[in-house]
Amino acid sequence: MAPDTAALSEGLLAALARRRATGAVVDAAGAAAAAAARAAEWGVERALLADDPVLGDLGVGGRLAGDGCEVLVWPDGRGRGWRELLGLEGPELTMGVTVPRLGVAERGTLVLETGPGHGRSIDVVSMYHLAVLPASRLRATLAEALVETYARDGRAPSAVSLVSAPSRTSDIEKISTLGAHGAKGLHVLVVEDR
Amino acid sequence: MSGRRPVVYSDTTAPLRERTREALADDALAANLRAAGASWGAARTRISAENPFAEMRARAREIRRGDIGDLPELLARLEERVTAAGGVVTRAADADAACRYITDLAAARGATLVAKSKSMATEEIKLNEAIEESGLRVVETDLGEWILQLAGQHPSHIVAPAVHLNKEQVRQVLMAESGWELPTDREALVAHARTRLREVFASADIGISGVNFGVAETGTICVVENEGNARLVTALPRIHVAVMGMERVVRDWDEAAHILQILPMAAIGDDAAGYVNLITGPRAPGEADGPEELHLVILDGGRSALLGTDLEEALDCIRCGACLYSCPMWRSVGGQAYGSPYSGPIGSVLTPLLEGMEGERSSELPFMSSLCGSCHDACPVGIPLHDLLVRVRARVTTTAHRRDRARFRLWSRAWSNPAAYRLSVAMARIGLRLAGRRGWARRLPGPGAEWTSQRDLPTRWPPTPPR
Repeated sequence: MAPDTAALSEGLLAALARRRATGAVVDAAGAAAAAAARAAEWGVERALLADDPVLGDLGVGGRLAGDGCEVLVWPDGRGRGWRELLGLEGPELTMGVTVPRLGVAERGTLVLETGPGHGRSIDVVSMYHLAVLPASRLRATLAEALVETYARDGRAPSAVSLVSAPSRTSDIEKISTLGAHGAKGLHVLVVEDR
Repeated sequence: MSGRRPVVYSDTTAPLRERTREALADDALAANLRAAGASWGAARTRISAENPFAEMRARAREIRRGDIGDLPELLARLEERVTAAGGVVTRAADADAACRYITDLAAARGATLVAKSKSMATEEIKLNEAIEESGLRVVETDLGEWILQLAGQHPSHIVAPAVHLNKEQVRQVLMAESGWELPTDREALVAHARTRLREVFASADIGISGVNFGVAETGTICVVENEGNARLVTALPRIHVAVMGMERVVRDWDEAAHILQILPMAAIGDDAAGYVNLITGPRAPGEADGPEELHLVILDGGRSALLGTDLEEALDCIRCGACLYSCPMWRSVGGQAYGSPYSGPIGSVLTPLLEGMEGERSSELPFMSSLCGSCHDACPVGIPLHDLLVRVRARVTTTAHRRDRARFRLWSRAWSNPAAYRLSVAMARIGLRLAGRRGWARRLPGPGAEWTSQRDLPTRWPPTPPR
């Protein structure tokens, strides 16, 4: 990993850790195993994956299925209906797996861009959120990342989600409590480029 | 826990003086507010030490002043870009027009259940009441707002609406809603709310959100949150209606990135919000979630009248709630006593400006401040709130305030004349000696009664040490 990329991923993970998210830098060969280990730690019974070539190349879906986890892929997984995806029916311990378009080192933010293969609700309907971020997608500042995301010809993406923490609320006595409506845990795998 | 219910007022009941007196007598409220203020203060101190906050604040002020200066142009651009992205934009002159647009839309689409994420603009226009009157069910999904909706209360803070309640009070409210026995455990209460509200997300026809700001450059609306409910509200239901105060526009993504970073620093003492939802039009072709229809309601509600006046800076506000926590008045009585959706210093400025100067709230709120300036200090966009408070005070025209002003004018004229000054001082000295005992006047008649109802007045200088 190039030294500047190393500094950026360190910045991202340190900022996220302050907000009680977790993460690690892994190489491409170890990414699927790291995803499976995290799923096992969370006790995940079903994973909802973005349809993204990055996950296919790393073999994340195959590895999770091999470990006995039910694997749904967006948009087909959407066919299950909201009650099931929200965990009101079927397994409650679910995990959304996303591939952020960019990661921001300063103050720690993931930029998730929606699209036909990447539903905007994948991470918040699930109990846990695993983000798989190729290291080459790291940027230094939020301004840089947002200008890049929106500075394209034609239509802006219909939805972009900035995610910087697990779902949390301080509405009871101003003490931060995790898992309010979205993912109770956020784990980021920064994958070194092959 | 104290058995008392927290003080709650609908908009027009007891006068302000009575509301504040009751709030001051509520020990549980005082403890909750003290804890909240201390927690905000500690987080704010940490965030200011870790970030170039003063510099960021100067830049944020520059951004907001520029945006408000170009407001008509930026709004036109926003409207054009949202429309180009497939959204429907409507400008609502007032609360009635905004509510009517939304209830008509719900009726036309045959909606029955509305899920809401936190929005001060919808509090301002009393949208929930309008939706319920039209026969639909509306559910607040921000945890704090939901608790208040169940308890029949209004928010006491812009960002932390239920900050005046403690966990035992919250437990009672949630048990009453579900009929389930719940432990007094924060995590269990949050998990319970998560499950109950997932039922709402799964079946709502319409999601209603506020808008932290719209980005004119691309026609994108930003909804900032920490719980994830705003994403669910804007992603799952068939229709998304976003309600935005007309001043909440920024020019481009460079400005947006800056405001997105300073907002959570000021609001919650963190350098990033958990989630920021950036929405440009309805779902695109081929997408399997997101609303099929996006409606953006841009609310005037008295705002445009402030443009170009000496009160214009009130429009710079990004609704972070920092001035509330910093205010010694708000920290003493909480937001409920203000009787307005906007409490604290910004509420005391905005309420009269948006609602008109008539009415008890508008004439009293601007005076609920010691003008200490801590609000200006706390404000991430540097609004001179203490100056605005003075300017709003000058606009109050009730009989009592006119009489006060006449009295002060008379006093000022008298003391401009050396002879009248000396005479009045001599008379006051004699009067005080007569009214006082052992160097202190404890009860004065007439115009002095208001003073001595709160504190004693020394009758000689330097004062005799009180016994």
